[in-house]
Amino acid sequence: MEKIIRVNMSDLSVKTDKVPKQYQGLGGRALTSTIVASEVPPTCDPLGPDNKLVIASGLLNNTPAPNAGRLSVGCKSPLTGGIKEANAGGVVGTKFGRMGIAAVVVEGKPKKDGYYKLILTKDDARLEPADDLKGLGNYDTVAKLTAVHGEKTGYVSIGQAGEMLLTGSSIAVTDRENRPTRHAGRGGVGAVMGSKGLKAVVVDDTGGAFPKPVDPEGFKKASKKLLDALKTHSVTSEGLPTYGTNILANIINEAGGYPTRNFSEGRFEGVEKISGETQHDVILERGGEIKHGCMPGCVIQCSRIYHDKKGEYLTKGPEYETIWANGANCGIDDLDAIAQIDRLCDDYGLDTIEWGATVGVAMEAGVKKFGDAKGAIELIKEVPKGTELGKTLGNGAAATGKKYNVTRVPVVKNQALPAYDPRPIMGIGVTYATSTMGADHTAGYAIAPNIMKVGGEVNPLVPEGQVETSRNLQIATAAVDSAGLCLFIAFAILDIPSGFEGVYEMLNAQYGLNLTADDVGALGMQVLKTEREFNEKAGFTKADDRLPAYFLAEKLSPHDKIFEVKDEELDTVFNF
Amino acid sequence: MKVEIKLFAGFRAYTPNTRDRRYTDVPDGSTVGDIINSLGIPEEKKKIIFINGVHGTVDSVLQEKDRLAIFPPVAGG
Repeated sequence: MEKIIRVNMSDLSVKTDKVPKQYQGLGGRALTSTIVASEVPPTCDPLGPDNKLVIASGLLNNTPAPNAGRLSVGCKSPLTGGIKEANAGGVVGTKFGRMGIAAVVVEGKPKKDGYYKLILTKDDARLEPADDLKGLGNYDTVAKLTAVHGEKTGYVSIGQAGEMLLTGSSIAVTDRENRPTRHAGRGGVGAVMGSKGLKAVVVDDTGGAFPKPVDPEGFKKASKKLLDALKTHSVTSEGLPTYGTNILANIINEAGGYPTRNFSEGRFEGVEKISGETQHDVILERGGEIKHGCMPGCVIQCSRIYHDKKGEYLTKGPEYETIWANGANCGIDDLDAIAQIDRLCDDYGLDTIEWGATVGVAMEAGVKKFGDAKGAIELIKEVPKGTELGKTLGNGAAATGKKYNVTRVPVVKNQALPAYDPRPIMGIGVTYATSTMGADHTAGYAIAPNIMKVGGEVNPLVPEGQVETSRNLQIATAAVDSAGLCLFIAFAILDIPSGFEGVYEMLNAQYGLNLTADDVGALGMQVLKTEREFNEKAGFTKADDRLPAYFLAEKLSPHDKIFEVKDEELDTVFNF
Repeated sequence: MKVEIKLFAGFRAYTPNTRDRRYTDVPDGSTVGDIINSLGIPEEKKKIIFINGVHGTVDSVLQEKDRLAIFPPVAGG
């Protein structure tokens, strides 16, 4: 991919450049983090003119590789204050590949109030006013844009939450049904897009095409190796397509690490009603869909389409994290209410993990009672109204905890913990504490060896082995996030070495490179080093690589565990 | 002895019918493997086994009132 499109919102100019030497050979997270680290002053105001929003394509997005097409969004995060990469599926990543776009870099800040849309076609890139979209949710935004730009076009957009610069806001990417359901969720990236007056990006790849690989035969062979791994491993070929990500609800609950009522217990008595198995049955009964791919070229098909009681479309999935955050974490066992909340998060443009964790904190504060599903829906509807309550909640768990003087606030680097309690699953606790991204589960998914026996077996209930586990996964993930591949390929390639070989052999065949397995690891390490350095310059110290103190003091039932990995051990994660 | 048997995902179909809806009667000293065989769950598939929330194996010996959970290979996010 040869083009970097620079969008200057201060003078509303757009120019297309060739990718400069220092950014060549990079994609996805490697590209966003390198650009942010090179061009964004680490101490800048994330909502000010010096921050940049980088939207980048992964390295394999210009190929028919299975499960390529992810889109990376990078910036300085207004939620964590550190470097951020958030990553989404949907249709736009592949379109960037067909258009030869490596990255779009949005800089500056408009001098006057007003919103714009960026229109990208095969041969053109321009800004147009879009004040008619102001105040609209993502669904109406996409509907209006579709009427002008067509159904085969991809759309990146923010809802009301991003317009209001809320630090819990996300950026939506349209799926194959042209719905804004796949989100670059974490870290308030929606607020950065909103702060630059950019409401939407219109991605029209008409006339675009994948370039030919340097070695077409080599590419075919390598691609087949990954495909075979995905088709033979039971997780990617059976479990995920049939039950989706929420198959985890019963497993994590059984393991005693399913955070319930604001991380106060490790099992939820209502899990059966919100489990992946129940969701599977409800979806089929109501004419929804399972075995659904959110990106073209996805062979895993873990997403799904959820219908309401009347059999009408309501939302996608929802995913495991969303159902946990807005279900068990709030004491809510009503799957339809959770699906409604998921729909509203997608529409207003809110990170579902941060949102659910926030409501859990608000319930602890007594704003609503735990288990009050109707109350939870009332709370999210405050956000587009722009009320003080809506803005507080929309700014996330830490802001809400501060407002109500709640002490048990589950965040690291100000970002809310996802759906696994670190006390009985200590590997993920190491990732939460040390990742450059803040409390993040995908950054080093220790759940795989800790719980699922994928990529090894590491006892989750003891501190031994967790640092090494998290370190290796953080390195590998940084590399996969740069290739444009869906992270779920990891479940197959961690167990099937030829699948992993297929990944770098595809890169070699596409670009005429000579990467080895070691080079993949080196890329991951380089990305992490770049990110760590940015965070240090932004003011982070090892004090920020810690879980909140109550995770080291309050025992979590049923195992009565506290987090036992010592601070000095956490400080060795980045020894490489 | 009585044990609680919970089967998930693709293994749901093998769930035993019991009059006591929570517990199933099994021979004293049964291993997880014995129970897998008696329920007709395919042997060759890799499984995730929890006994009282802690990872077990097919050779783990069960005790009275243990909570046994068996999953096929699954993952999510």
